Amino acid sequence: MLAIETRELTKDYEIKKNKERVYLRAVDDLNLQIEESEIYCLLGPNGAGKTSTTRLLTSILHPTLGGARILGSDIVNEASKVRSKVGLLTETPALYDRLTVRQNLDFIAKLYSMQKEDISSRIEEIMDLFDLTEKIDLSAGSLSKGMKQKVSIARAMIHDPPVLFLDEPTASLAPESAKVVRELIMKLSRKEKRTFFICTHNLFEAERLASVVGIINRGKIIAEGSPSQLRELKKEETTTIFRFSSWNDIIKNYFVKGNYDILEINPEKKSISLFINDIEKETPLIIEQLVKLKFPMFEVRHEFPTLERIYLELVESANRPTIEEEVEA
Amino acid sequence: MNFKRVWALTRKDLREFMKSKYVVSVIIGIPLLFAILFPFATLMPMTQANPQDFEGEEFGSFVENLFSKTVRGWDGLNNFGKTMVLMAYAMFVTVLLLPIIIPAVTASETVVGEKERKTIESILASPMTETEIVTAKILSSLLPSFLGTTIAAIGYMGITDFILWKSDVGIILFPDFLSIVFVLIFGPLFSTISVELMIMVSTKVKSVRDSYQIGSLIVLPLILLIAAEMFTFFFASYATLFGGVAIMLIIIAALFKIATAIFDREKVITKMV
Repeated sequence: MLAIETRELTKDYEIKKNKERVYLRAVDDLNLQIEESEIYCLLGPNGAGKTSTTRLLTSILHPTLGGARILGSDIVNEASKVRSKVGLLTETPALYDRLTVRQNLDFIAKLYSMQKEDISSRIEEIMDLFDLTEKIDLSAGSLSKGMKQKVSIARAMIHDPPVLFLDEPTASLAPESAKVVRELIMKLSRKEKRTFFICTHNLFEAERLASVVGIINRGKIIAEGSPSQLRELKKEETTTIFRFSSWNDIIKNYFVKGNYDILEINPEKKSISLFINDIEKETPLIIEQLVKLKFPMFEVRHEFPTLERIYLELVESANRPTIEEEVEA
Repeated sequence: MNFKRVWALTRKDLREFMKSKYVVSVIIGIPLLFAILFPFATLMPMTQANPQDFEGEEFGSFVENLFSKTVRGWDGLNNFGKTMVLMAYAMFVTVLLLPIIIPAVTASETVVGEKERKTIESILASPMTETEIVTAKILSSLLPSFLGTTIAAIGYMGITDFILWKSDVGIILFPDFLSIVFVLIFGPLFSTISVELMIMVSTKVKSVRDSYQIGSLIVLPLILLIAAEMFTFFFASYATLFGGVAIMLIIIAALFKIATAIFDREKVITKMV
């Protein structure tokens, strides 16, 4: 069974502009198929539709068109079932500052109809998991930003949901805490087969965590796939760098006179950067030639385009007006 | 309806209230002020007056008719005594404003406050139904209001009785049937109406300040309702008492229906600041 499945999911907001009612499309024809235990990262600029998508999938908003299912339950007709299957970490920690950490968790656990005897053991278990046991009886308002974020994640997980929606889970966390959260997400996904739907701006995090990355812009998914599949989209931007222990004109001339697509020659670094069309086939042949010629080569490496570069280029090109739009303008 | 979930949300709100100095001052501080200040500021100075000065004054048939039916021993009181009783009841009416004033603060805090602090999203993402959320919010605003009114009424009655007993009037006025009916029956009913109206306002507005401002306007027609109920009751019989209660229950049921219909997850979240 798919953990999350959307069919032409669309959401319009009605807003008033110059006393007229206009419709703003926040989510546009979204078709997702997310397997159980997958970590899906939704990347996108501010206002791209990430939060609206999360709110639709957690049955807080009603879709304008299309629909979605969470572990088989329809987000409109079986909203209550959907809500009991999901955990939500909102963009801001939004804890009850006047209540203690324990009271915050206890309250949410009761909303999910957890049994009284299970609640305290679950709170202790989850506090231990996040290394927060010492803070359990402190008021949430007295905690640091990072601690609040940890408590918020714990709150989203208190009822043991099979699907978790996390909006910027490591925002405001110190690097070591962010690492703990990332490791926890990986562990829960692999060992306990939980599904994660993560909205983030953090491309480093997406690259490390995601089994699938979706890039959303103006409500539309403009690219989707595993980080390596997304890199394939820009494989023409992969650079192969050859470094030598010594540098001379013989090496330089060999490349210049050969039929290579040279991107950069750097005598200071004693290196040359090439664009190679089929890196898997062509790189070993080049290495063989260089070895035969006894060039003092000591390093060959491929520099793949980063997810950040791919993301920025995709969003930029999606935002560029089409010829029709330019003509219309 | 899942009452465990309803109570969990109500209990959470009450816990939050108890930790907010501002809300505690509204729930306990203002009622105590009403209870202490009014009798001491109005009745106490009157005890220093000479009862002879009140002789020859006329109360008018309207007042005589009204109080002779409802206040025990009215006809045996001299003019000074009648003036003191009249004053005691007039001030008691202000205590009855508390059931509609307190919810303006508590209901704003529980709904708009949650919107402002963005804590409401985790409630909206939970399996709680809209009806359960509205019921819980009504209860959490209603209980402090009931508590505040009871504190004020007991305090006011105690102090007023003490003043009347020690003065030349020498009677124990409260609690009488009228005050009990107003504190235990009409108070909670007025409070429920006020809470429901405030919940409706809170669902629609974006900030606590807006909620207070609109809430203060809502209080005005409710004061008229209190006055209407009081006069009807003064004139009346058990039939009008039950009739009044029935009308208020119908209003409460209708407002509850409207409040739950208005409280839509999507509208609440999109009106979040």
